[in-house]
Amino acid sequence: MHPLTWWLASIFGAVSIVRSNSAVVAMLMVAIAAVLVKRFSQNAPWASGFWFSLKLGLWILLIRLLAGILIGTPDFGKVLFTLPQLLLPDWMAGIRIGGAVSQERLQSSIHEGIIIVAIISMFGAATSLTSPHKLLRVIPVSIYEVSVALVIAASILPQLVVSFQRIRSAQSMRGGASPRVDRVLIPLLEECLSRSVDLAAAMDSRGYGSSPVRSNYRKITWSSKDLMVLSMAFCAVFLIPVVTP
Amino acid sequence: MITFSNVSLIYPNSTKTILEDLTFEIVEGEFVLVIGSTGSGKSSLLRLINGLVPHHTGGILAGDIHVNGLSTQLVKPGGMAHLIGIVGQNPANGFVADTVEEELVFGMEALNTAPEVMRKRVEEILDLLSLTPLRNRQISTLSGGEQQRLAIGTALVMHPKVLVLDEPTSALDPIAAEEVLSILHRLVHDLSLTVVIAEHRLERVIGFVDRILEISGQGVARIEVPEIILKDSKIAPPIVHLARGLALPEVGLSVREVRRMTEELRSSEGTGRPERRVIAASTPLFGVSDLHISYGDFPALKGVSVNVYPGQVLCVMGRNGAGKTSLLRALFEKAKCGYVPQEPGDLLYHQSVAAECAQSDRDNNLAKGATYSLLSKLLSSISPDVHPRDLSEGQRLALALSIVLASNPEALILDEPTRGLDYQAKAVLINILKSYSQELEKPIILATHDVELVAEVADRVLFLADGEVVADGPVLDVLLSSPAFAPQIAKVMSPKPWLTVSDVMNAVSSQ
Repeated sequence: MHPLTWWLASIFGAVSIVRSNSAVVAMLMVAIAAVLVKRFSQNAPWASGFWFSLKLGLWILLIRLLAGILIGTPDFGKVLFTLPQLLLPDWMAGIRIGGAVSQERLQSSIHEGIIIVAIISMFGAATSLTSPHKLLRVIPVSIYEVSVALVIAASILPQLVVSFQRIRSAQSMRGGASPRVDRVLIPLLEECLSRSVDLAAAMDSRGYGSSPVRSNYRKITWSSKDLMVLSMAFCAVFLIPVVTP
Repeated sequence: MITFSNVSLIYPNSTKTILEDLTFEIVEGEFVLVIGSTGSGKSSLLRLINGLVPHHTGGILAGDIHVNGLSTQLVKPGGMAHLIGIVGQNPANGFVADTVEEELVFGMEALNTAPEVMRKRVEEILDLLSLTPLRNRQISTLSGGEQQRLAIGTALVMHPKVLVLDEPTSALDPIAAEEVLSILHRLVHDLSLTVVIAEHRLERVIGFVDRILEISGQGVARIEVPEIILKDSKIAPPIVHLARGLALPEVGLSVREVRRMTEELRSSEGTGRPERRVIAASTPLFGVSDLHISYGDFPALKGVSVNVYPGQVLCVMGRNGAGKTSLLRALFEKAKCGYVPQEPGDLLYHQSVAAECAQSDRDNNLAKGATYSLLSKLLSSISPDVHPRDLSEGQRLALALSIVLASNPEALILDEPTRGLDYQAKAVLINILKSYSQELEKPIILATHDVELVAEVADRVLFLADGEVVADGPVLDVLLSSPAFAPQIAKVMSPKPWLTVSDVMNAVSSQ
């Protein structure tokens, strides 16, 4: 498959989520993405990107919900419960902290939260389904720094997991107190940094970015499968808003 | 091919001169070895050749370096990519693709090479380095030796005129190291490639090199043929020490040469086995029996039984991936052991040596300064204010060792302790290990590829292959029975059962 297919499809997916502005559609899209990731992602280190983005999304939803309950403009509607309200100076009129929480406000907080989570998970799915190394081949050399950063991130992250386990087990063997986070984090960050520098130096010495044009060993072409995925995603952009209740 | 004229190098924020007024020339098709103790600037010198120093690392460079007519002052490393292939200490850190084939073409794609040319060159390199069966493999599934071969392949596929390698065999077992080095030897002779290589274990490379560049610290360096450098160099492989010890007329560089010079000694009567400590059969301290460990579907150990006896130094050997580390981990669980991991830096997290030692005192309820005094006993030259990352490999190992020993363990376990150590640091380590096992009567278990270390310290050797024990016995029996894992001195002195220079010297003096 072409390395851009899933990225384009996920952008189309995100657009249709925004256009339909419906929590049901958003959750449906996340479910579709989950099925696709389960079905098509290879056993590669970046395959867990989608599940990570879901976890991240749940945190965002939670924070968004808390903020929605605590802070906001005074509103009207069916009051569910009332929190003690903080007294603010006059010049902050229009903003309140605490106070009555209406059903409408809660609903809209959850609704917006779900849409945000769905959009993030679209990009999570694209990362899971595309090898960053293959993506590097289609990114123009003119944004050289971006590509180097991309490769470094893609190669270092999975390594980090391995190093983390190695350092933690070494620390637990040192004896004394059980390993604390900072004790593991410092050697880990140092290793991560030196690896990144090594990798950037290696790419540099192999001539990356020294020629404005790159050639391709294997032509990267669009297959019928790519076109199918893309056209379905494209149709979704126009169809979903129409059929959304 | 490579010309250094009046080259000096210093790094900012450092008062130490790395190189000073260095002038030399390396001609086409020459195989040059760079030696020097750790931290003397070997890596810097190698990286000067393609301009990674100072373009990538900073540093102040005076003088001029030309490679095939191009000056590194004017051309960036990327512009040298077609001319110089560089292979770093950890090839895995430099890989940028998913599969072997994609990794090979990365550099050529970057230089906009035509696809037909790439296809031809990829086939060429796959054949040359016997990588063909691996062409579609995921890089993460390759063994250490295969990764090293691939790294050399990615450099050679650009058809460079110069190949620069920084300790290419330090992570490899003797057989994989031999493979890599013989490929280099062939390239120099068949293609007239110029090779510059840094290596600690001289015994592995010395037979191949044309000239040696010795960096002796404080910026001083000289380049000469091996016979001259090795006559008085502090850094020398065991056979050179043997030649010095026996006062042979000249230093021999290969096993064959030295065998010819010592024929008389070998044919002499008497002098059987050297005096080696025999651990009286006592009750084992701890051990494992019929141990099975697997990771997912991959069986790491298949029914291994080992007993550990007090005061015995047990060396676990075997090829990469034979299950050595798994066995050490399992033994660690069985008793209150001190464990020094492959990367001693993993144990360290404080900002200074003093803080590390203080932490260790607190962890083990020791009097203040106990760990530091232990460290000074192991290695006297470490200043307490230094950041652990700024220590040399040997010093860092000594610090990790003293932290581990501070907890007064019943046994000491070390995983690949000599990786990246120079001869001096190794000699210090050998002394520490010997005195620990003899004075305290406590066992040491170590996993290593370094046969010379095993020959010096081991009482007993356990040989693992594919998760099974293939040999287990006294060091003399095991090392002498396998030519691939025999130390250099044993190869020279065969059929005499001598493993180290001191074995030979003792035998000679007792005659």
